[in-house]
Amino acid sequence: MSEPRRRFSDGPVVERVDVSRLSPVGRRPSLGSYIAQLWGRRHFIWADSRARAFAGNRDTLLGRFWLVGKPILDGATYFLIFGVMLNASRGVENYVGFLIIGVFMFQFTAKALTGGAGAMAAGKNIIRAFTFPRASIPLALVLRETISMLPVLVTMLAMILLIPPHAQVSIYWLLFPVVFLLQALFNTGLTLYAARLASAIPDLRLVLGFVSRFWMYGSGVMYSIDRFVSHPTLLAAMQLNPAYCVLEISRDLLLYARMPDMTLWLTLGAWAVITPLFGFIYFWHGEEEYGRE
Amino acid sequence: MSESPDDAPKKGIEVPLGEPTVSVRRLSVHYRVSSSEVERGWVSRRERLARRLGWNRIVTVRAVNDVSFVARAGESIGIVGHNGSGKSTLLRVIAGLETPTTGDVLATSTPTFLGVNAALMPELSGMENIRLGLLAMGHTPREVRKIVPDVLQLAGIGDAIHRPMKTYSSGMGARLRFAIAASDRPEILLIDEALATGDVASKERSEARMAEIRRQAGTVFLVSHAAQTIEEMCTRAIWLHQGEMILDGPAYEVARAYRWWAWNLAKGEVAKANGLLEDARAQLRATVVHPEDPTTDRHISRHAHPS
Repeated sequence: MSEPRRRFSDGPVVERVDVSRLSPVGRRPSLGSYIAQLWGRRHFIWADSRARAFAGNRDTLLGRFWLVGKPILDGATYFLIFGVMLNASRGVENYVGFLIIGVFMFQFTAKALTGGAGAMAAGKNIIRAFTFPRASIPLALVLRETISMLPVLVTMLAMILLIPPHAQVSIYWLLFPVVFLLQALFNTGLTLYAARLASAIPDLRLVLGFVSRFWMYGSGVMYSIDRFVSHPTLLAAMQLNPAYCVLEISRDLLLYARMPDMTLWLTLGAWAVITPLFGFIYFWHGEEEYGRE
Repeated sequence: MSESPDDAPKKGIEVPLGEPTVSVRRLSVHYRVSSSEVERGWVSRRERLARRLGWNRIVTVRAVNDVSFVARAGESIGIVGHNGSGKSTLLRVIAGLETPTTGDVLATSTPTFLGVNAALMPELSGMENIRLGLLAMGHTPREVRKIVPDVLQLAGIGDAIHRPMKTYSSGMGARLRFAIAASDRPEILLIDEALATGDVASKERSEARMAEIRRQAGTVFLVSHAAQTIEEMCTRAIWLHQGEMILDGPAYEVARAYRWWAWNLAKGEVAKANGLLEDARAQLRATVVHPEDPTTDRHISRHAHPS
């Protein structure tokens, strides 16, 4: 047991410390106890996502309108450039609907990437002030983005129904929530990856803007990629892209009233399981890094 | 340095000491940072070229150098030293926010750290920040409702609690963050200059809360460059200079020695100040932290000899 200081005539003070009661500080907990701690913080995750949604809309005049306004303006821009000027609409049935679904659905994933990269920097005050599993911060972000996507989706559906040539409601619309859920799961993993990478290498935040633009052109947001890519291997590789799968499945279900290809479902399903799983473990591995300056 | 009875100075509140709560053993933190400082003497050709290209030399900064001590339940330990003496780094390592280069820090529980950062969520009101902070500490919404009045009372910032936190003065922000962190009665509380600002009433409230934490087998660390704060709030003090421990002893003695040194330095009496520093260093008896585990009844590691 520990005793009071033992003094020798002139030598050093020997402090006997019973280390069975002590443990090293700042070590990351085991994965199991990390998940348990995270579950204990569920109220915090909820409150944090609400607080940031509120804070984020404060400095613009139109506030929440921009949630829907930005994709509408994006869509209008792409329509003018790709639809009217470059004539990318040739051979695409209901090009306006095609474009609207592409722009609205892709920005959900793009935001997960860029938002995740900024998450740890945006939450640094709270990270430095309190001890809690840091994954709460990116998870709160995903939660907020997913919830604010709901009014955006309603707008998207209203637009494809109202703008000619009108899409028809079909039985396949019932499957649309499944795509959205798979996309949200994929985004969760993506956010966790981006959060740790960008907190370790801040320069990545600048690079990610280019990555997301490159990704957008490769996912067939404003044109059908099989029209521009003829090489079969390259085309097959591009079809493994999860964002491409989301867009194709959504268009098949909402616009063309047909069952999407099983390959698309399976590819997206695999991404939706593997990405969050590995992303979570990857983020947890860096748990000791996030509080540092 | 004897205490005269007629002008009894204010001292930290004494509470009975208990078991060790934090063990710091041969701790060093070295940073590799770039420096544009021009080195005198011989400079290699490669280095000259590098400098011409705009790359700076990488130098090692010894922020904390071979520091050992043991903190016990009931202690309130002040860490004094000039700017850049490594006191904040030491505190951040104890908090587990930074990894030491060598040595280790053991603690009975995860320390609660109160840094010098400004507002938590600047857009939100103080009240919303309290709720969010308490939830981050792992409380349920029901517990939060119960704790909030206690936090409000301790913070004592009145109606400002409903205003956005970005409108707070630094003193108000610091008090609010202290009130949130202390509401939990953490076992180990680390405070970085947070209480230096604040009026007398709020200082007394926070000191009472710190004493309460220590009575419940807690330990409080307080970093400050103001010897006065350390003398009034602490029972023990550690004086750091350029990352090295100069003195470790009763707060009153250490703070007085530090203040006398700092005063001489400020007056430009560099030689005298250096002499005082050496005197203090000579008084320090090195601490050897000896880890033992009675459950297995064997020594965890060999004796760590002081250098």
